[in-house]
Amino acid sequence: MIDIPLALLFTSILGAVLAGFVCSTMGVFVVRMNLSSIGYCMSHAAFAGAAFGLMISVDSLISAMVFSFGVAFVLGPLSEKARLESNVVIGFLFSVMIALAFIFLNFIPGQAASGAALRILWGSIFSVGYNDLMFLLLLSFALIFFIALFYKELLAVMFHRKLAESAGVNTKLFYFAVLFFTGFSVSLSLRLVGGLLVFALIINPTSTAYQFFYDFKKIMIFSPVIGIVSCLIGFWLSLVTDFPIGASIVIVSAVLFAFAIIISPKRRKGKGKQRKMGFKLVT
Amino acid sequence: MNVIDLQNVETIYEGESIPVIHNINLTVKTGEFLAIIGPNGAGKTTLLETINGILPYTAGQGFVFEKEIPIYKTAIRKEIGYVIQNFEMDPLAPFLSKDIVMSGRAGKIGMFRFASKEDWEIVWYSIGLVGMIDFAHRPIGKLSGGEFQKILLARALAQKPKLLLLDEPFSNLDFSTRRQIEKLLNRIHEKQQMTIVIVSHDLSFIPSRCSRVIVLDRGKIIMDGKKEKILTSTMIDNIFHKKGVNQ
Ligand SMILES: Nc1ncnc2c1ncn2[C@@H]1O[C@H](COP(=O)(O)OP(=O)(O)OP(=O)(O)O)[C@@H](O)[C@H]1O
Ligand SMILES: [Mg+2]
Repeated sequence: MIDIPLALLFTSILGAVLAGFVCSTMGVFVVRMNLSSIGYCMSHAAFAGAAFGLMISVDSLISAMVFSFGVAFVLGPLSEKARLESNVVIGFLFSVMIALAFIFLNFIPGQAASGAALRILWGSIFSVGYNDLMFLLLLSFALIFFIALFYKELLAVMFHRKLAESAGVNTKLFYFAVLFFTGFSVSLSLRLVGGLLVFALIINPTSTAYQFFYDFKKIMIFSPVIGIVSCLIGFWLSLVTDFPIGASIVIVSAVLFAFAIIISPKRRKGKGKQRKMGFKLVT
Repeated sequence: MNVIDLQNVETIYEGESIPVIHNINLTVKTGEFLAIIGPNGAGKTTLLETINGILPYTAGQGFVFEKEIPIYKTAIRKEIGYVIQNFEMDPLAPFLSKDIVMSGRAGKIGMFRFASKEDWEIVWYSIGLVGMIDFAHRPIGKLSGGEFQKILLARALAQKPKLLLLDEPFSNLDFSTRRQIEKLLNRIHEKQQMTIVIVSHDLSFIPSRCSRVIVLDRGKIIMDGKKEKILTSTMIDNIFHKKGVNQ
Protein backbone atom coordinates (compact mmCIF):
# COMPACT_ATOMS: atom_id res chain seq x y z
CA MET A 1 0.00 0.00 0.00
CA ILE A 2 1.24 3.45 -0.92
CA ASP A 3 1.13 6.40 1.44
CA ILE A 4 -0.87 9.26 0.03
CA PRO A 5 -1.54 12.69 1.50
CA LEU A 6 -5.09 12.96 2.76
CA ALA A 7 -6.02 15.88 0.49
CA LEU A 8 -4.92 13.98 -2.59
CA LEU A 9 -6.75 10.90 -1.41
CA PHE A 10 -9.91 12.93 -1.02
CA THR A 11 -9.60 14.56 -4.44
CA SER A 12 -9.00 11.31 -6.17
CA ILE A 13 -11.82 9.47 -4.42
CA LEU A 14 -14.20 12.25 -5.33
CA GLY A 15 -12.87 12.16 -8.88
CA ALA A 16 -13.47 8.41 -9.07
CA VAL A 17 -17.02 8.78 -7.77
CA LEU A 18 -17.86 11.53 -10.24
CA ALA A 19 -16.24 9.79 -13.21
CA GLY A 20 -18.16 6.65 -12.33
CA PHE A 21 -21.34 8.65 -12.12
CA VAL A 22 -21.11 10.53 -15.42
CA CYS A 23 -19.84 7.60 -17.48
CA SER A 24 -22.29 5.01 -16.28
CA THR A 25 -25.19 7.44 -16.51
CA MET A 26 -24.40 8.14 -20.14
CA GLY A 27 -24.00 4.41 -20.62
CA VAL A 28 -27.74 3.92 -20.15
CA PHE A 29 -28.39 6.02 -23.23
CA VAL A 30 -25.42 4.85 -25.25
CA VAL A 31 -26.36 1.20 -24.84
CA ARG A 32 -30.07 1.61 -25.46
CA MET A 33 -29.70 3.95 -28.43
CA ASN A 34 -27.14 1.68 -30.11
CA LEU A 35 -24.47 4.30 -29.93
CA SER A 36 -21.84 1.88 -28.67
CA SER A 37 -19.64 1.99 -31.74
CA ILE A 38 -19.83 5.75 -32.11
CA GLY A 39 -19.20 6.18 -28.37
CA TYR A 40 -16.27 3.82 -28.63
CA CYS A 41 -14.88 5.90 -31.44
CA MET A 42 -15.44 9.11 -29.49
CA SER A 43 -13.60 7.85 -26.45
CA HIS A 44 -10.61 6.84 -28.54
CA ALA A 45 -10.69 10.20 -30.24
CA ALA A 46 -10.59 11.77 -26.79
CA PHE A 47 -7.56 9.61 -26.09
CA ALA A 48 -5.84 10.78 -29.28
CA GLY A 49 -6.82 14.33 -28.39
CA ALA A 50 -5.31 14.07 -24.93
CA ALA A 51 -2.09 12.74 -26.44
CA PHE A 52 -2.10 15.59 -28.91
CA GLY A 53 -2.55 18.08 -26.06
CA LEU A 54 0.45 16.65 -24.25
CA MET A 55 2.50 16.81 -27.42
CA ILE A 56 1.83 20.47 -28.09
CA SER A 57 1.63 21.37 -24.38
CA VAL A 58 -2.04 22.35 -24.31
CA ASP A 59 -4.39 21.26 -21.54
CA SER A 60 -5.15 17.70 -22.54
CA LEU A 61 -8.72 18.09 -21.32
CA ILE A 62 -9.45 20.67 -23.99
CA SER A 63 -7.77 18.81 -26.79
CA ALA A 64 -9.56 15.60 -25.76
CA MET A 65 -12.91 17.37 -26.01
CA VAL A 66 -12.08 18.90 -29.35
CA PHE A 67 -11.17 15.52 -30.83
CA SER A 68 -14.11 13.73 -29.33
CA PHE A 69 -16.63 16.33 -30.48
CA GLY A 70 -14.96 16.35 -33.88
CA VAL A 71 -15.70 12.66 -34.22
CA ALA A 72 -19.25 13.12 -32.96
CA PHE A 73 -19.67 15.86 -35.50
CA VAL A 74 -18.62 13.60 -38.37
CA LEU A 75 -20.20 10.36 -37.21
CA GLY A 76 -23.35 11.71 -35.59
CA PRO A 77 -25.17 12.66 -38.77
CA LEU A 78 -23.84 9.59 -40.57
CA SER A 79 -24.99 6.97 -38.11
CA GLU A 80 -28.17 8.86 -37.42
CA LYS A 81 -29.26 8.00 -40.92
CA ALA A 82 -28.35 4.38 -40.19
CA ARG A 83 -26.70 4.16 -43.56
CA LEU A 84 -24.44 1.28 -44.27
CA GLU A 85 -21.35 3.44 -44.62
CA SER A 86 -21.44 4.55 -41.01
CA ASN A 87 -20.00 1.24 -39.81
CA VAL A 88 -17.19 1.45 -42.29
CA VAL A 89 -16.47 5.03 -41.30
CA ILE A 90 -16.52 4.11 -37.61
CA GLY A 91 -13.99 1.34 -38.16
CA PHE A 92 -11.84 3.65 -40.20
CA LEU A 93 -11.94 6.52 -37.71
CA PHE A 94 -11.35 4.23 -34.77
CA SER A 95 -8.11 2.88 -36.23
CA VAL A 96 -6.99 6.33 -37.30
CA MET A 97 -7.56 7.67 -33.79
CA ILE A 98 -5.55 4.91 -32.16
CA ALA A 99 -2.73 5.35 -34.67
CA LEU A 100 -2.72 9.10 -34.12
CA ALA A 101 -2.73 8.66 -30.35
CA PHE A 102 0.41 6.51 -30.50
CA ILE A 103 2.15 8.88 -32.87
CA PHE A 104 1.36 11.84 -30.60
CA LEU A 105 2.48 9.92 -27.52
CA ASN A 106 5.76 9.25 -29.21
CA PHE A 107 6.39 12.93 -29.69
CA ILE A 108 5.55 14.15 -26.22
CA PRO A 109 8.46 16.43 -25.33
CA GLY A 110 10.59 16.47 -22.23
CA GLN A 111 11.64 14.20 -19.42
CA ALA A 112 8.23 13.38 -18.07
CA ALA A 113 7.25 11.99 -21.43
CA SER A 114 6.85 8.35 -20.58
CA GLY A 115 5.10 9.08 -17.28
CA ALA A 116 2.56 11.41 -18.83
CA ALA A 117 2.04 9.11 -21.76
CA LEU A 118 1.41 6.14 -19.55
CA ARG A 119 -0.98 8.18 -17.48
CA ILE A 120 -3.33 8.91 -20.32
CA LEU A 121 -3.05 5.31 -21.41
CA TRP A 122 -3.83 3.69 -18.07
CA GLY A 123 -5.16 6.57 -16.06
CA SER A 124 -3.81 7.75 -12.74
CA ILE A 125 -5.18 9.11 -9.51
CA PHE A 126 -2.42 11.69 -9.49
CA SER A 127 -3.68 13.33 -12.62
CA VAL A 128 -7.02 14.37 -11.18
CA GLY A 129 -6.65 18.06 -10.52
CA TYR A 130 -8.88 20.60 -8.91
CA ASN A 131 -10.09 21.78 -12.31
CA ASP A 132 -11.07 18.31 -13.37
CA LEU A 133 -13.08 17.92 -10.21
CA MET A 134 -14.89 21.19 -10.78
CA PHE A 135 -15.73 20.24 -14.36
CA LEU A 136 -16.83 16.76 -13.35
CA LEU A 137 -19.05 18.24 -10.68
CA LEU A 138 -20.57 20.69 -13.12
CA LEU A 139 -21.13 17.96 -15.66
CA SER A 140 -22.80 15.76 -13.04
CA PHE A 141 -25.25 18.49 -12.15
CA ALA A 142 -25.91 19.29 -15.78
CA LEU A 143 -26.62 15.63 -16.43
CA ILE A 144 -29.01 15.27 -13.51
CA PHE A 145 -30.80 18.39 -14.63
CA PHE A 146 -30.97 17.23 -18.24
CA ILE A 147 -32.38 13.82 -17.36
CA ALA A 148 -34.89 15.12 -14.85
CA LEU A 149 -36.13 17.78 -17.22
CA PHE A 150 -36.37 15.62 -20.32
CA TYR A 151 -37.14 12.25 -18.79
CA LYS A 152 -40.31 11.68 -20.80
CA GLU A 153 -38.69 12.61 -24.10
CA LEU A 154 -35.64 10.49 -23.38
CA LEU A 155 -37.79 7.50 -22.51
CA ALA A 156 -39.81 7.91 -25.69
CA VAL A 157 -36.70 8.19 -27.87
CA MET A 158 -35.09 5.24 -26.19
CA PHE A 159 -38.09 3.00 -26.69
CA HIS A 160 -38.46 3.64 -30.40
CA ARG A 161 -37.06 6.58 -32.21
CA LYS A 162 -39.51 6.66 -35.08
CA LEU A 163 -42.51 6.38 -32.77
CA ALA A 164 -41.15 9.18 -30.60
CA GLU A 165 -40.66 11.31 -33.69
CA SER A 166 -44.18 10.51 -34.86
CA ALA A 167 -45.60 11.71 -31.54
CA GLY A 168 -43.97 15.10 -31.98
CA VAL A 169 -40.70 14.69 -30.07
CA ASN A 170 -37.65 16.32 -31.62
CA THR A 171 -35.56 13.17 -31.54
CA LYS A 172 -32.60 14.69 -33.33
CA LEU A 173 -32.09 17.15 -30.51
CA PHE A 174 -31.91 14.37 -27.94
CA TYR A 175 -29.71 12.21 -30.09
CA PHE A 176 -27.12 14.95 -30.36
CA ALA A 177 -27.51 15.92 -26.72
CA VAL A 178 -26.60 12.36 -25.77
CA LEU A 179 -23.54 12.44 -28.03
CA PHE A 180 -22.55 15.78 -26.59
CA PHE A 181 -22.76 14.58 -22.99
CA THR A 182 -20.93 11.39 -23.89
CA GLY A 183 -18.09 13.47 -25.33
CA PHE A 184 -17.83 15.45 -22.11
CA SER A 185 -18.00 12.36 -19.94
CA VAL A 186 -15.22 10.47 -21.70
CA SER A 187 -12.98 13.54 -21.95
CA LEU A 188 -13.31 14.35 -18.27
CA SER A 189 -12.89 10.79 -17.05
CA LEU A 190 -9.99 10.06 -19.34
CA ARG A 191 -7.21 11.21 -17.05
CA LEU A 192 -8.49 9.08 -14.21
CA VAL A 193 -9.44 5.89 -16.04
CA GLY A 194 -7.19 6.11 -19.07
CA GLY A 195 -7.92 6.50 -22.74
CA LEU A 196 -8.05 2.84 -23.64
CA LEU A 197 -10.40 1.88 -20.86
CA VAL A 198 -12.74 4.79 -20.36
CA PHE A 199 -15.34 3.33 -22.65
CA ALA A 200 -15.60 0.22 -20.49
CA LEU A 201 -16.82 2.47 -17.69
CA ILE A 202 -19.64 3.58 -19.95
CA ILE A 203 -20.69 0.11 -21.00
CA ASN A 204 -20.07 -2.27 -18.07
CA PRO A 205 -22.12 -0.75 -15.23
CA THR A 206 -25.07 -0.14 -17.54
CA SER A 207 -24.94 -3.65 -18.91
CA THR A 208 -24.90 -4.92 -15.34
CA ALA A 209 -27.97 -2.86 -14.47
CA TYR A 210 -29.77 -4.12 -17.57
CA GLN A 211 -29.43 -7.67 -16.25
CA PHE A 212 -31.68 -6.94 -13.31
CA PHE A 213 -34.34 -4.43 -14.14
CA TYR A 214 -37.18 -3.98 -16.56
CA ASP A 215 -38.12 -0.57 -15.29
CA PHE A 216 -36.24 2.23 -16.98
CA LYS A 217 -36.33 4.35 -13.85
CA LYS A 218 -34.52 1.66 -11.89
CA ILE A 219 -31.85 1.32 -14.57
CA MET A 220 -31.42 5.07 -14.51
CA ILE A 221 -30.72 4.85 -10.78
CA PHE A 222 -28.75 1.63 -10.52
CA SER A 223 -26.43 2.07 -13.47
CA PRO A 224 -24.69 5.08 -11.88
CA VAL A 225 -24.76 3.36 -8.49
CA ILE A 226 -22.97 0.34 -9.97
CA GLY A 227 -20.60 2.68 -11.79
CA ILE A 228 -19.69 4.51 -8.60
CA VAL A 229 -19.27 1.29 -6.65
CA SER A 230 -16.99 -0.09 -9.40
CA CYS A 231 -14.88 3.04 -9.23
CA LEU A 232 -14.59 2.97 -5.45
CA ILE A 233 -13.71 -0.72 -5.25
CA GLY A 234 -11.36 -0.26 -8.20
CA PHE A 235 -9.72 2.63 -6.44
CA TRP A 236 -9.17 0.59 -3.32
CA LEU A 237 -7.89 -2.36 -5.36
CA SER A 238 -5.45 -0.06 -7.07
CA LEU A 239 -4.17 1.23 -3.72
CA VAL A 240 -3.58 -2.18 -2.21
CA THR A 241 -2.23 -3.94 -5.29
CA ASP A 242 -0.56 -1.06 -7.07
CA PHE A 243 -2.51 -1.89 -10.26
CA PRO A 244 -3.11 1.08 -12.53
CA ILE A 245 -6.34 2.70 -11.40
CA GLY A 246 -8.10 2.51 -14.78
CA ALA A 247 -7.36 -1.16 -15.13
CA SER A 248 -8.60 -1.98 -11.63
CA ILE A 249 -11.82 -0.02 -12.10
CA VAL A 250 -12.52 -1.77 -15.36
CA ILE A 251 -11.68 -5.18 -13.92
CA VAL A 252 -14.05 -4.59 -11.02
CA SER A 253 -16.85 -3.43 -13.31
CA ALA A 254 -16.26 -6.41 -15.60
CA VAL A 255 -16.34 -8.83 -12.67
CA LEU A 256 -19.61 -7.28 -11.49
CA PHE A 257 -21.02 -7.70 -14.99
CA ALA A 258 -19.93 -11.33 -15.23
CA PHE A 259 -21.46 -11.97 -11.83
CA ALA A 260 -24.67 -10.24 -12.93
CA ILE A 261 -24.93 -12.43 -16.00
CA ILE A 262 -24.67 -15.52 -13.83
CA ILE A 263 -27.27 -14.51 -11.28
CA SER A 264 -29.46 -12.44 -13.60
CA PRO A 265 -33.13 -13.23 -13.22
CA LYS A 266 -33.61 -12.24 -16.86
CA ARG A 267 -31.39 -15.05 -18.05
CA ARG A 268 -32.43 -17.74 -15.62
CA LYS A 269 -33.33 -21.00 -17.30
CA GLY A 270 -36.76 -22.54 -17.00
CA LYS A 271 -39.60 -20.68 -18.57
CA GLY A 272 -42.10 -20.57 -15.73
CA LYS A 273 -39.56 -19.44 -13.24
CA GLN A 274 -38.20 -16.75 -15.50
CA ARG A 275 -41.59 -15.19 -15.99
CA LYS A 276 -42.33 -15.20 -12.32
CA MET A 277 -39.04 -13.63 -11.43
CA GLY A 278 -39.37 -10.89 -13.99
CA PHE A 279 -42.81 -10.14 -12.79
CA LYS A 280 -41.76 -10.04 -9.18
CA LEU A 281 -39.10 -7.50 -9.93
CA VAL A 282 -41.49 -4.95 -11.27
CA THR A 283 -44.30 -5.26 -8.76
CA MET B 1 -62.13 20.74 -43.00
CA ASN B 2 -59.64 18.57 -44.83
CA VAL B 3 -57.69 16.49 -42.40
CA ILE B 4 -55.43 15.16 -45.14
CA ASP B 5 -54.87 16.77 -48.50
CA LEU B 6 -52.19 15.36 -50.76
CA GLN B 7 -51.66 16.80 -54.22
CA ASN B 8 -49.52 14.89 -56.71
CA VAL B 9 -47.32 13.67 -53.93
CA GLU B 10 -44.34 11.47 -54.63
CA THR B 11 -41.95 9.93 -52.11
CA ILE B 12 -38.47 8.63 -52.79
CA TYR B 13 -36.45 6.95 -50.05
CA GLU B 14 -33.11 8.49 -49.35
CA GLY B 15 -30.42 7.02 -51.53
CA GLU B 16 -32.94 5.59 -54.00
CA SER B 17 -33.96 6.99 -57.33
CA ILE B 18 -37.32 5.39 -58.04
CA PRO B 19 -40.33 6.80 -56.19
CA VAL B 20 -42.11 4.30 -53.99
CA ILE B 21 -45.38 6.22 -54.18
CA HIS B 22 -46.19 8.71 -56.91
CA ASN B 23 -49.00 10.87 -58.22
CA ILE B 24 -50.87 10.50 -54.98
CA ASN B 25 -53.97 12.65 -54.78
CA LEU B 26 -55.91 12.11 -51.62
CA THR B 27 -58.36 14.21 -49.66
CA VAL B 28 -59.73 13.05 -46.34
CA LYS B 29 -62.35 15.04 -44.46
CA THR B 30 -62.82 15.33 -40.71
CA GLY B 31 -64.47 12.26 -39.27
CA GLU B 32 -63.85 9.98 -42.22
CA PHE B 33 -62.90 6.39 -41.59
CA LEU B 34 -60.97 4.92 -44.46
CA ALA B 35 -59.00 1.83 -45.22
CA ILE B 36 -55.96 1.58 -47.43
CA ILE B 37 -55.48 -1.84 -48.93
CA GLY B 38 -52.93 -3.24 -51.31
CA PRO B 39 -50.43 -6.06 -51.69
CA ASN B 40 -47.05 -6.22 -49.92
CA GLY B 41 -44.70 -3.54 -51.10
CA ALA B 42 -47.49 -1.43 -52.60
CA GLY B 43 -46.37 1.57 -50.54
CA LYS B 44 -49.00 1.63 -47.80
CA THR B 45 -46.55 2.21 -44.96
CA THR B 46 -44.71 4.76 -47.08
CA LEU B 47 -47.97 6.63 -47.65
CA LEU B 48 -48.76 6.75 -43.93
CA GLU B 49 -45.28 7.99 -43.08
CA THR B 50 -45.50 10.61 -45.78
CA ILE B 51 -48.71 11.85 -44.18
CA ASN B 52 -47.12 12.35 -40.76
CA GLY B 53 -43.96 13.71 -42.31
CA ILE B 54 -41.59 10.99 -41.12
CA LEU B 55 -40.70 10.59 -44.79
CA PRO B 56 -40.36 13.87 -46.66
CA TYR B 57 -42.17 13.89 -49.98
CA THR B 58 -40.10 14.72 -53.01
CA ALA B 59 -42.71 16.24 -55.29
CA GLY B 60 -46.19 17.73 -55.02
CA GLN B 61 -47.70 19.26 -51.93
CA GLY B 62 -49.19 17.84 -48.78
CA PHE B 63 -51.31 19.29 -46.00
CA VAL B 64 -52.53 17.86 -42.74
CA PHE B 65 -55.08 19.86 -40.76
CA GLU B 66 -54.60 22.37 -43.59
CA LYS B 67 -51.01 22.96 -42.62
CA GLU B 68 -48.16 22.19 -44.94
CA ILE B 69 -46.55 18.97 -43.73
CA PRO B 70 -42.81 19.71 -44.04
CA ILE B 71 -43.12 23.06 -42.29
CA TYR B 72 -45.45 22.15 -39.46
CA LYS B 73 -44.59 18.49 -39.03
CA THR B 74 -43.81 18.65 -35.31
CA ALA B 75 -47.04 20.45 -34.50
CA ILE B 76 -49.06 18.18 -36.77
CA ARG B 77 -47.65 15.03 -35.24
CA LYS B 78 -48.86 15.93 -31.78
CA GLU B 79 -52.37 15.47 -33.14
CA ILE B 80 -51.64 12.27 -35.07
CA GLY B 81 -51.64 8.91 -33.35
CA TYR B 82 -49.54 6.40 -35.24
CA VAL B 83 -49.53 2.66 -34.71
CA ILE B 84 -46.51 1.31 -36.48
CA GLN B 85 -46.49 -1.98 -38.34
CA ASN B 86 -45.08 -4.93 -36.36
CA PHE B 87 -41.58 -4.69 -35.24
CA GLU B 88 -39.39 -6.92 -33.14
CA MET B 89 -39.10 -5.82 -29.56
CA ASP B 90 -36.00 -6.77 -27.63
CA PRO B 91 -37.33 -9.15 -24.95
CA LEU B 92 -35.04 -7.54 -22.38
CA ALA B 93 -36.19 -4.01 -23.19
CA PRO B 94 -36.27 -2.07 -19.93
CA PHE B 95 -39.69 -0.44 -20.20
CA LEU B 96 -42.97 -1.06 -18.48
CA SER B 97 -46.08 -1.09 -20.63
CA LYS B 98 -47.69 1.86 -18.86
CA ASP B 99 -44.58 3.97 -19.47
CA ILE B 100 -44.75 3.13 -23.16
CA VAL B 101 -48.36 4.24 -23.28
CA MET B 102 -47.33 7.46 -21.55
CA SER B 103 -44.54 7.97 -24.06
CA GLY B 104 -47.25 8.62 -26.65
CA ARG B 105 -48.02 11.83 -24.83
CA ALA B 106 -44.42 13.01 -24.69
CA GLY B 107 -44.73 15.39 -27.62
CA LYS B 108 -48.18 16.59 -26.71
CA ILE B 109 -47.30 17.49 -23.13
CA GLY B 110 -44.45 19.52 -24.55
CA MET B 111 -40.87 20.28 -23.63
CA PHE B 112 -40.03 21.51 -20.14
CA ARG B 113 -43.25 20.07 -18.78
CA PHE B 114 -43.91 17.03 -16.69
CA ALA B 115 -46.66 14.45 -16.96
CA SER B 116 -49.50 15.58 -14.72
CA LYS B 117 -52.13 13.60 -12.90
CA GLU B 118 -54.52 14.16 -15.79
CA ASP B 119 -51.96 12.81 -18.21
CA TRP B 120 -51.77 9.62 -16.19
CA GLU B 121 -55.56 9.44 -16.05
CA ILE B 122 -55.69 9.59 -19.83
CA VAL B 123 -53.01 6.91 -20.01
CA TRP B 124 -54.91 4.58 -17.69
CA TYR B 125 -58.12 5.24 -19.56
CA SER B 126 -56.48 4.27 -22.86
CA ILE B 127 -55.01 1.14 -21.35
CA GLY B 128 -58.49 0.30 -20.13
CA LEU B 129 -59.97 0.86 -23.58
CA VAL B 130 -57.79 -1.84 -25.10
CA GLY B 131 -58.34 -4.12 -22.11
CA MET B 132 -54.75 -4.22 -20.93
CA ILE B 133 -55.04 -2.97 -17.35
CA ASP B 134 -53.69 -6.24 -15.99
CA PHE B 135 -50.60 -5.92 -18.16
CA ALA B 136 -49.80 -2.30 -17.44
CA HIS B 137 -46.93 -3.12 -15.10
CA ARG B 138 -45.47 -5.85 -17.28
CA PRO B 139 -42.20 -5.26 -19.12
CA ILE B 140 -42.94 -4.43 -22.73
CA GLY B 141 -40.61 -7.11 -24.10
CA LYS B 142 -42.52 -9.84 -22.28
CA LEU B 143 -45.82 -9.22 -23.98
CA SER B 144 -47.12 -11.45 -26.75
CA GLY B 145 -47.36 -9.97 -30.23
CA GLY B 146 -51.05 -9.22 -29.84
CA GLU B 147 -50.70 -7.74 -26.37
CA PHE B 148 -47.88 -5.56 -27.63
CA GLN B 149 -50.03 -4.36 -30.50
CA LYS B 150 -52.78 -3.41 -28.08
CA ILE B 151 -50.33 -1.43 -25.97
CA LEU B 152 -49.18 0.40 -29.10
CA LEU B 153 -52.79 1.21 -29.90
CA ALA B 154 -53.32 2.46 -26.34
CA ARG B 155 -50.19 4.56 -26.78
CA ALA B 156 -51.64 6.20 -29.87
CA LEU B 157 -55.03 6.72 -28.21
CA ALA B 158 -53.40 8.28 -25.15
CA GLN B 159 -52.29 11.03 -27.45
CA LYS B 160 -55.96 11.96 -27.89
CA PRO B 161 -55.26 12.45 -31.58
CA LYS B 162 -57.48 14.06 -34.15
CA LEU B 163 -56.14 11.66 -36.74
CA LEU B 164 -55.32 8.03 -36.15
CA LEU B 165 -53.01 6.20 -38.56
CA LEU B 166 -53.04 2.45 -38.06
CA ASP B 167 -50.62 0.26 -39.97
CA GLU B 168 -51.99 -3.29 -39.94
CA PRO B 169 -53.14 -3.13 -36.33
CA PHE B 170 -54.81 -6.53 -36.55
CA SER B 171 -51.90 -8.57 -37.83
CA ASN B 172 -51.13 -10.29 -34.53
CA LEU B 173 -54.61 -10.44 -33.07
CA ASP B 174 -56.73 -13.56 -32.77
CA PHE B 175 -60.27 -13.59 -34.05
CA SER B 176 -62.04 -12.46 -30.90
CA THR B 177 -59.48 -9.78 -30.08
CA ARG B 178 -59.76 -8.43 -33.60
CA ARG B 179 -63.49 -8.15 -33.18
CA GLN B 180 -63.00 -6.42 -29.88
CA ILE B 181 -60.54 -3.86 -31.31
CA GLU B 182 -62.76 -3.34 -34.35
CA LYS B 183 -65.62 -2.55 -32.02
CA LEU B 184 -63.38 -0.19 -30.10
CA LEU B 185 -62.40 1.64 -33.28
CA ASN B 186 -66.02 1.88 -34.32
CA ARG B 187 -66.92 3.30 -30.96
CA ILE B 188 -64.10 5.84 -30.94
CA HIS B 189 -65.02 6.91 -34.41
CA GLU B 190 -68.66 7.31 -33.53
CA LYS B 191 -68.17 9.11 -30.25
CA GLN B 192 -65.18 11.32 -30.88
CA GLN B 193 -65.43 12.10 -34.55
CA MET B 194 -61.87 10.98 -34.90
CA THR B 195 -60.53 10.62 -38.42
CA ILE B 196 -59.14 7.13 -38.83
CA VAL B 197 -56.94 5.69 -41.58
CA ILE B 198 -56.34 1.99 -41.33
CA VAL B 199 -53.95 -0.05 -43.46
CA SER B 200 -54.80 -3.66 -43.98
CA HIS B 201 -54.12 -6.36 -46.45
CA ASP B 202 -56.87 -8.52 -45.18
CA LEU B 203 -59.98 -7.50 -47.07
CA SER B 204 -62.32 -9.29 -44.72
CA PHE B 205 -61.25 -7.23 -41.75
CA ILE B 206 -62.29 -3.72 -42.40
CA PRO B 207 -64.27 -2.30 -39.47
CA SER B 208 -67.95 -1.76 -40.19
CA ARG B 209 -67.94 2.00 -39.75
CA CYS B 210 -65.18 2.34 -42.32
CA SER B 211 -66.97 3.58 -45.40
CA ARG B 212 -64.23 4.38 -47.87
CA VAL B 213 -61.55 2.16 -49.30
CA ILE B 214 -58.45 3.10 -51.21
CA VAL B 215 -56.55 0.54 -53.21
CA LEU B 216 -52.86 1.08 -53.59
CA ASP B 217 -50.81 -0.91 -56.05
CA ARG B 218 -47.20 -0.35 -57.00
CA GLY B 219 -47.18 3.11 -55.49
CA LYS B 220 -50.33 4.39 -57.12
CA ILE B 221 -53.87 4.84 -55.96
CA ILE B 222 -55.80 2.73 -58.44
CA MET B 223 -59.18 2.84 -56.78
CA ASP B 224 -60.87 5.12 -54.31
CA GLY B 225 -64.49 4.87 -53.35
CA LYS B 226 -67.26 3.39 -51.25
CA LYS B 227 -66.34 0.23 -49.43
CA GLU B 228 -69.15 -1.89 -50.88
CA LYS B 229 -68.29 -0.99 -54.42
CA ILE B 230 -64.57 -1.54 -54.10
CA LEU B 231 -64.79 -4.83 -52.31
CA THR B 232 -67.07 -6.30 -54.94
CA SER B 233 -65.07 -5.00 -57.89
CA THR B 234 -63.32 -7.58 -60.02
CA MET B 235 -60.13 -5.59 -60.16
CA ILE B 236 -59.51 -6.29 -56.50
CA ASP B 237 -59.55 -9.97 -57.21
CA ASN B 238 -56.99 -9.49 -59.91
CA ILE B 239 -54.58 -7.48 -57.83
CA PHE B 240 -54.69 -9.70 -54.84
CA HIS B 241 -54.74 -13.03 -56.58
CA LYS B 242 -52.12 -12.19 -59.12
CA LYS B 243 -49.70 -11.56 -56.30
CA GLY B 244 -50.92 -14.39 -54.16
CA VAL B 245 -51.80 -12.31 -51.14
CA ASN B 246 -54.94 -12.65 -49.07
CA GLN B 247 -55.15 -16.40 -49.03
N1 LIG C 1 -36.14 2.38 -46.13
C1 LIG C 1 -36.38 2.04 -47.42
N2 LIG C 1 -35.47 2.32 -48.38
C2 LIG C 1 -35.71 1.99 -49.65
N3 LIG C 1 -36.83 1.39 -50.08
C3 LIG C 1 -37.77 1.09 -49.17
C4 LIG C 1 -37.60 1.39 -47.79
N4 LIG C 1 -38.69 0.98 -47.13
C5 LIG C 1 -39.51 0.44 -48.05
N5 LIG C 1 -38.97 0.50 -49.28
C6 LIG C 1 -39.58 0.01 -50.51
O1 LIG C 1 -40.77 0.71 -50.76
C7 LIG C 1 -41.77 -0.16 -51.25
C8 LIG C 1 -43.03 0.03 -50.44
O2 LIG C 1 -42.79 -0.30 -49.11
P1 LIG C 1 -43.90 -0.17 -48.01
O3 LIG C 1 -43.28 -0.57 -46.72
O4 LIG C 1 -44.52 1.15 -48.08
O5 LIG C 1 -44.94 -1.28 -48.48
P2 LIG C 1 -46.27 -1.76 -47.77
O6 LIG C 1 -47.38 -1.53 -48.73
O7 LIG C 1 -46.41 -1.16 -46.45
O8 LIG C 1 -46.01 -3.32 -47.68
P3 LIG C 1 -46.42 -4.36 -46.52
O9 LIG C 1 -47.79 -4.84 -46.83
O10 LIG C 1 -45.42 -5.47 -46.72
O11 LIG C 1 -46.29 -3.69 -45.23
C9 LIG C 1 -41.21 -1.56 -51.20
O12 LIG C 1 -40.91 -1.96 -52.51
C10 LIG C 1 -39.96 -1.43 -50.39
O13 LIG C 1 -38.95 -2.25 -50.90
MG1 LIG D 1 -46.30 -1.80 -44.55
